[in-house]
Amino acid sequence: MESAISSILFYVFAAAAVLCAFGVVAFRNPVSSAMNMALCFGFTAAVYFGMGAQFLGIVQLIVYAGAILVLFLFIIMMLDVKAEEHVRKSFPMACIGVIIAGIFAGFVTKVAISLPGATDGPCPALVLCDTIGDLAPGAIEEKPAEETLAPYGAAMPKLNPAAAAMTLGADEATAAKATAFPDTKLMGQALFTKYNIPFVILSFALLAGTVGAVALGRKIRKD
Amino acid sequence: MNTIIQWCDSVLSNEIWFYLLTTVIKLVLIFAVILAFVVLSVWIERRVAGWIQDRPGPNRAGIPLFLLKRFGSKEKQPLKNVLHFFGIPENSWIANLCKWLRLEGEIPTFGLMQPCLDGGKLFLKQELTPSYVRKVYFTIAPMLVLGPPMVAAAVIPFASTVSTCYGEISMCVANLGIGPLWIFAISGLSVYGLSLAGWSSNSKYPFLGGLRASAQLISYEVAMGLSVIPLLMMFGTLNLQDIVQYQADNGWTLLPFWGEGLTLQRWALYAPIAISFIIFVTCVFAEANRTPFDMAECETDLVGGYHTEYSSMKFASFFMGEYAAMVVGSALVVTLFFGGWSIGFGADAALAAWCDWVAVLCQFLMFLIKLVAFIFFFVWVRWTLPRFRWDQVMKLGWLVFLEVAIANIFLAAAIMYFIK
Repeated sequence: MESAISSILFYVFAAAAVLCAFGVVAFRNPVSSAMNMALCFGFTAAVYFGMGAQFLGIVQLIVYAGAILVLFLFIIMMLDVKAEEHVRKSFPMACIGVIIAGIFAGFVTKVAISLPGATDGPCPALVLCDTIGDLAPGAIEEKPAEETLAPYGAAMPKLNPAAAAMTLGADEATAAKATAFPDTKLMGQALFTKYNIPFVILSFALLAGTVGAVALGRKIRKD
Repeated sequence: MNTIIQWCDSVLSNEIWFYLLTTVIKLVLIFAVILAFVVLSVWIERRVAGWIQDRPGPNRAGIPLFLLKRFGSKEKQPLKNVLHFFGIPENSWIANLCKWLRLEGEIPTFGLMQPCLDGGKLFLKQELTPSYVRKVYFTIAPMLVLGPPMVAAAVIPFASTVSTCYGEISMCVANLGIGPLWIFAISGLSVYGLSLAGWSSNSKYPFLGGLRASAQLISYEVAMGLSVIPLLMMFGTLNLQDIVQYQADNGWTLLPFWGEGLTLQRWALYAPIAISFIIFVTCVFAEANRTPFDMAECETDLVGGYHTEYSSMKFASFFMGEYAAMVVGSALVVTLFFGGWSIGFGADAALAAWCDWVAVLCQFLMFLIKLVAFIFFFVWVRWTLPRFRWDQVMKLGWLVFLEVAIANIFLAAAIMYFIK
């Protein structure tokens, strides 16, 4: 039943995110573009929330919308926005942009199609109609919760909180009590055990980048 | 009648409708609490300021008794009239009490009318929008300041759980598994409001105020996030409702006097937790833009800061946003360090065993009392400490708090590993 609401919200938020992403390139004012990007991050985070990946969603908000984009805005505001608005974009640059965007779109589509349940799932429109029908107060007993179509492809492995808690080594009592999918725990365990080495290497790369940025940006005084 | 009851029953039996209805009720309740506390904290601020600076504070907004003259009384002293009307002798203790309360002239409201009248004044003032501002962002900036703290309050638990015949209700609008992170993320978004207000005003000093606000908020967010990690290591969960439940069973974080709070490990952990508390509370001050961290609206450097060009209700929204951020910040501090809604000393479990609803009511009141106490603390600090200098603020954030918070995590980990 919960999936019914989240599947409607998925379409709303996904559409809004795409619209905002379009706004990023459509607006001439750089600040408007940045604000659209912030909205796009927000809607993407909302999609993550709908999928039960709360931790991922909130990290998206804290890191991208709350910190990185604010620094973007910080820089953009110091520019002369009026001058930026009148810049004519050249055709060759547009062509290069289209090629790069096309390559990325290809990558994403390839990954999306190879996911389980991407091609043999139910038609999205049908799922939407069914879920709206489920929400009517009279229609409670007609359909057991198990039969409600999963929002993101029926063939996807079902996220069962109790089972996930069991695999984490919790005893049966706490597993039964677990109401939410323990995505923070799973992510932490994956990051710090299975992918520990890449994680550490990435951290060092970021640290080197930070130190480099400070070294480049710092004014060296001669006195 | 029967059909209505049946219909209500069928609606409430539906899991989704039950969830939706209870959530809407809780939402309205927490929204009302936050707004009421915004008004109340304005009053506390002015009252305590008056108290600290040895002056009366707001005292001109009572209900004047001389209005009684309009209704047929010719006496100069209205109190006498009132006493006479009720047949109370003039030298009785009631009359003396009234005189002691200075009731001769007016009915005292202790200045409580002041915030309401201020609100009315700000609503009725003429709204000036300068011609040179960027209109769209100028309009949405106050909304972006006021909105986030209200949304962030959604995860704060204000009482424990009650079970009804239709299911359990957790007294927390959104019982998310990422409680504190949600508050950090959402209240971090209010930086957009401040910096956009500064930029869209299209004028020098507001712009500097906006830049200061965004730099300060981002700097202190880092230390704030790192400072709660020792706590989260101790609790083992990010769900605020579970965190408060743990404190109700095992002693509040800063007052571990019952349950598991008496073990050696908890007392050894007291050192890192005290450090966390100091860093976290200071960061809450900085995030709420309160003195001594109100660099973004520092009159001596910046005329008025990011809101210089604003007037009327838009100007008031910035301050409502600041106070709402203060209320939510206090609520988070209370939840993490002072047991949230828990009454303490095992009284929660006893009350809950007796009657769910009474327990929830008591816990809600307890939460509000703690909240008021912490808001008082906020105001106290504001009228005690002078404003920092800008470079001092940045140094404190990046060179002191960040390092201490990281070292604190290692200290807590060592204690948890070595002392069982």
